[in-house]
Amino acid sequence: MTEEVSKSTASQTKSKLWVDILIFAAFLIAMDPRSSGLALHEWLTLSMLAAMTVHLLLNWDWIIQITSRFLGKLGGLNRVNYILNWLLFIDGTLIMISGIMISEIALPFMGIQLPQGFGWRRLHDMSANLFLLMLGVHTALHWSWIANAFSRYLFQPVLRLFAAGSKKDASV
Amino acid sequence: MKTLGRIFIILFAFVLLSGLMVVGVNAAGMNQPNFGGDGNRPEFRPQGGEEGGLPFRPEGEHEEGERGERGGGFGWIFGAVKNVGVISVLVVLIAWPRSITKNKKRTAAAP
Repeated sequence: MTEEVSKSTASQTKSKLWVDILIFAAFLIAMDPRSSGLALHEWLTLSMLAAMTVHLLLNWDWIIQITSRFLGKLGGLNRVNYILNWLLFIDGTLIMISGIMISEIALPFMGIQLPQGFGWRRLHDMSANLFLLMLGVHTALHWSWIANAFSRYLFQPVLRLFAAGSKKDASV
Repeated sequence: MKTLGRIFIILFAFVLLSGLMVVGVNAAGMNQPNFGGDGNRPEFRPQGGEEGGLPFRPEGEHEEGERGERGGGFGWIFGAVKNVGVISVLVVLIAWPRSITKNKKRTAAAP
């Protein structure tokens, strides 16, 4: 039973790690639309809504736990984390909606034309810059989890692979 | 079914916030064409200004406008390095002191 639980926790951690790596890489590409191209920028960020939903689903238990305890007894770090996550969600929504409002490729492709306003473009730029800073704080607050997960599920398996390869070479 | 319900909650929160933002921006008049402009330079893009219904871009911004493409190359690497740099600085500034404090506490607690 305990083994089953630890196995499911391990697979959940692995899923979280891969989803987070995917979101981070997509974010880095999306943050530079001049280089990646506007088409990639727009389609990638639209698809990131799905990735963000998966990220929230994988952390659902934590969200529910902290929401129910938020007004009661709760550690300071959890409280800060919770508020920061809400701010990230609000800012992410602002990036998405302002991006949709100034879309030049994805929405016209779907046959949708929205009235253009310069304010949305300003909001899009400002919210993206703010998101970068908040993502930095979010990463810093989860650094020990990130370091542990990277070490356990990426570095150690690769090192084991090399060790096994060198052992085989030595036996030949 | 449970997952579907959760997805619905997330999307509902997203749509609700989006609606509030659109209403807020409209109420603040930020979506007006002249918002943020300096009065001389036409920074807005009226609907269907160019062929194919694509919005109008001010002159000189066709090649490399605010959202224009840089034309390939390794430009994206600099952008990515800059963004990773910003995140790394924040991680070092926040995570490092935290780990030092944790280690100190651990050392103090050890017999």
